[in-house]
Amino acid sequence: MENFEHINAKSFEEAGKAIEGNSKSVVMAGGTDLMTVMRTHILKDYPERVVNLKTIENGAYIKDEGDRIAIGAITKLRDVADSEDVAKACKALGEAAYSVASPLIRNTGTIGGNICQDVRCWYYRYPEDGGGALNCARKGGGECYAIRGDNRYHSIFGGMKTKTTGCSTGCPVGTDIGSYMEFLRKKDMQGACDILIGYNPMGAITGRICAHPCQDGCNRGNLAATEAIGEGDDCVSIHTVERAMGDYMFAHPERYYAAPEKETGKKVVLVGSGPAGLTAAYYLRKAGHDVTVIDSQEKPGGMLRYAIPNYRLPLKYVDRIEELWKGMGIKFQCGVEVGKDIEASRLEADYDKVFYATGAWKRPVLGFDGEEFTEFGLSFLVEVNQWMQKKERKHVLVIGGGNVAMDVAVTAKRLGAESVTLACLEQRNEMPSSEEEIKRALEEGIQIMNGYGVSRANVSGGKVTGMELKKCVKVFDEDYRFSPQYDDTALTSIDADSILMAAGQQVDLSFLKEEYDLAVERGRIKTNEDQATSRKDVYAGGDAVSGPSTVASAIRHGRVAAKNINKEYDIDCPVYYEKKGFTRFDEECLSIKYGVKDIETPVAERRIDKEDSETVSEDAVFEESRRCMNCSCYSVNASDISPILVMNEAEIVTTKKTVSAAEFFTTELDAKDMLEPGELVKEIRVNKLDGYTTHYEKMRTRPSIDFAIISLATAYRKDGDKVGDLRLVLGGVAPVPIRLTKVEEFVKGKVMTDELAEKAAEMAVEDCFVLRKNKAKVVQTQIYVRRFLQSI
Amino acid sequence: MEIKPITLTVNGKKYTFMTGPDDVEGVIPNSEVLVKTLRNRLSLTGAKDACEEGACGCCTVIMNGEPVTSCMILTVDCDGADITTIEGLENPKTGELDPLQQAFIDKYAFQCGYCTPGIIMTARALLNKNPHPTREEIGEALSGNFCRCISHYHVFEAVEQVANQGR
Repeated sequence: MENFEHINAKSFEEAGKAIEGNSKSVVMAGGTDLMTVMRTHILKDYPERVVNLKTIENGAYIKDEGDRIAIGAITKLRDVADSEDVAKACKALGEAAYSVASPLIRNTGTIGGNICQDVRCWYYRYPEDGGGALNCARKGGGECYAIRGDNRYHSIFGGMKTKTTGCSTGCPVGTDIGSYMEFLRKKDMQGACDILIGYNPMGAITGRICAHPCQDGCNRGNLAATEAIGEGDDCVSIHTVERAMGDYMFAHPERYYAAPEKETGKKVVLVGSGPAGLTAAYYLRKAGHDVTVIDSQEKPGGMLRYAIPNYRLPLKYVDRIEELWKGMGIKFQCGVEVGKDIEASRLEADYDKVFYATGAWKRPVLGFDGEEFTEFGLSFLVEVNQWMQKKERKHVLVIGGGNVAMDVAVTAKRLGAESVTLACLEQRNEMPSSEEEIKRALEEGIQIMNGYGVSRANVSGGKVTGMELKKCVKVFDEDYRFSPQYDDTALTSIDADSILMAAGQQVDLSFLKEEYDLAVERGRIKTNEDQATSRKDVYAGGDAVSGPSTVASAIRHGRVAAKNINKEYDIDCPVYYEKKGFTRFDEECLSIKYGVKDIETPVAERRIDKEDSETVSEDAVFEESRRCMNCSCYSVNASDISPILVMNEAEIVTTKKTVSAAEFFTTELDAKDMLEPGELVKEIRVNKLDGYTTHYEKMRTRPSIDFAIISLATAYRKDGDKVGDLRLVLGGVAPVPIRLTKVEEFVKGKVMTDELAEKAAEMAVEDCFVLRKNKAKVVQTQIYVRRFLQSI
Repeated sequence: MEIKPITLTVNGKKYTFMTGPDDVEGVIPNSEVLVKTLRNRLSLTGAKDACEEGACGCCTVIMNGEPVTSCMILTVDCDGADITTIEGLENPKTGELDPLQQAFIDKYAFQCGYCTPGIIMTARALLNKNPHPTREEIGEALSGNFCRCISHYHVFEAVEQVANQGR
């Protein structure tokens, strides 16, 4: 083990202080779990500081407190197992403590440590020196390896969401994709859209044009070494699904785009009507504010309307947004320029809140000879979108390797250019453009020259004749920062009568006058993570803050700004749907390798003004949703003590609060997440279950080593020949202990018979979600419940 | 990093150590576990450093009267502890073996002998508290001590030989 700082704590409070604010510090009670975690290096962070709890004065005790007993958190499991007070109050607790590992471990391990122990899944615990620890979903990685791997001891009731999921983490909007997919699997389009609208009010747009980094994070697209290696697997076609959902939302305005029921009387103005401004407008209006959107252009939509080619995003969708937003009561003032028609300071005076999302529309000056003879690619797109003009261009050269460059190249080609060549610094695998856009360009005969930068434009008689390019040998430095290196001797010339520059855009903040004091960083508006600027009541987002970025990123900015503005008025909007209960997926569909694809128009039929693809049917969407693994954690709670405490309706006392065992153990996937930084469990209060017979039953293959494969904590009281009261809690079968409330209610007040026991046992497992290899646990659970009931 | 003194009593003898950083000669790093200290610093190599996760029991020593796996205990946490290892069982003056050790020899209660010190220490702790355990109690007490050579049957006989004395 590597060394660490060691502190002997005198009290729980002192120990809490010693770890608070330092994420690389841990507390150690018996150490029987933590020491193995540290030795095997299964976690990325190795503690710098270990705070010893064993030195806490009076931290280990078992006290009779009338109708309950109090157990200090650092009481050894041996003492709990041996205690007569415990046996009298709740025999099952003693039995559970006695069932933990071996006597040698119980002599060291504590009750507090037991209930806070780390995950026991073999993927989670896979040691570093066994070829590398696995960064599974539970540790912040993307994937739960048990979904497709060996899951014989994993949950039979479904998984629980971890803090990060591949798709949602990849998504700049942060959409909870797994949860809406779960609704789609149940063919519930509305339920799914109700989730999406909390994150993104324009799924019809993002489904069409977002470069979908969510799909890069999808675990389907990166098959783990658990199934036929080399056979490949499509990621879930999230964008195709989301597009259909977005269309559904656009078609159901009464549900998704209704005007608010109440007005707050607050006035908010949004400057810029691109995706950031529109998103903020949506959530602010939903909250009931008086919302005005100002834009310098003729119509709202920003880049959506003016820069994205129609074959990718037909104008009708942007028009639809305008219509829906106006329908909600959002006011648009187009053709109004801040700094010319109205001053920034005036906006602040006239409105309660201001949000700037003015985008990145300015042409950067690269400084090569003949630059003035080249055109700005973005302006070209704007012109095409506005007038569909067909200026004569025979041989076009496009400079740039991003999605805008692809749009420019494809648009030029579809306008009738004989040849279109695209040159960019990056090699094919480094290009910032999305795979689909590159594919589209290649399909349409565009030549891509990788690894070339601009040397100068060739000009003759005031007209551009081509460009001299120089070889780019390296684009990024060691830290993957943009830092192109050229070989100035490797030159090549391309003939062209039109050169379109799509190598970057800049933010233009000249509309803000000097006397308007707004913090700016690298030419962009500076905000904090709440999208608040240096000025009170002024927020900003989109490209004006981030520099040229994605529509999805702008949507997030808009939403975050709206959320924080709303928060200032004590309004919770947008409300994110929160997934309750256990997650599940469709076991059968793990083997369907191919995802649904957008319905594409054949290359020969593609046009400049007609969308290239069509939305798939609802049925296809439902089908595709079945391929989603709903990545969650499927490990089980390993503690023997926690199911007992849930059964006993015990209380957990921490340094900051007292909570019921049920809340403590079953709210979060990780009970430790119920604790704030520096908060520690210090006492467990166990009720005296007078008149009850309690018991703990545990199944494992090798006693003294194994954790429970299934455990059952029970308590019952007879009422004559009837079952007066009954409590049943399962451990080891789900990520958290499960109380079988339904079975309890079903059995209470009845005379126990074999038939009743059989029926109740079936009920206990009716909500099971069986993984490939753990069917046996379901059968065994049923047997456990039945046997126990028969024993009453 | 702070250097803290700790005092251990091992087999009746007091030792004071400095604990703290791992780059100061003679100072026990905070991360050092008891079995390493016993073996490497006190040359008490009876306790074996085997599984390193508290599962096999080969490193068992008696600490404050209870058998514990010394691979799962930080030395720095043992300040003030009274520790007995297999080396501390014999009579220090006469060299006479503990009756339990003698019983293991009498009954050939080992094969390779690697796990034997741990088994003897666990059994000794049991007999100290419960001089006449039943076979079941012996089995339960030893459930955390593993033997790959299947010496278990003879171990029962050896422990019972002592347990039955004076009965």
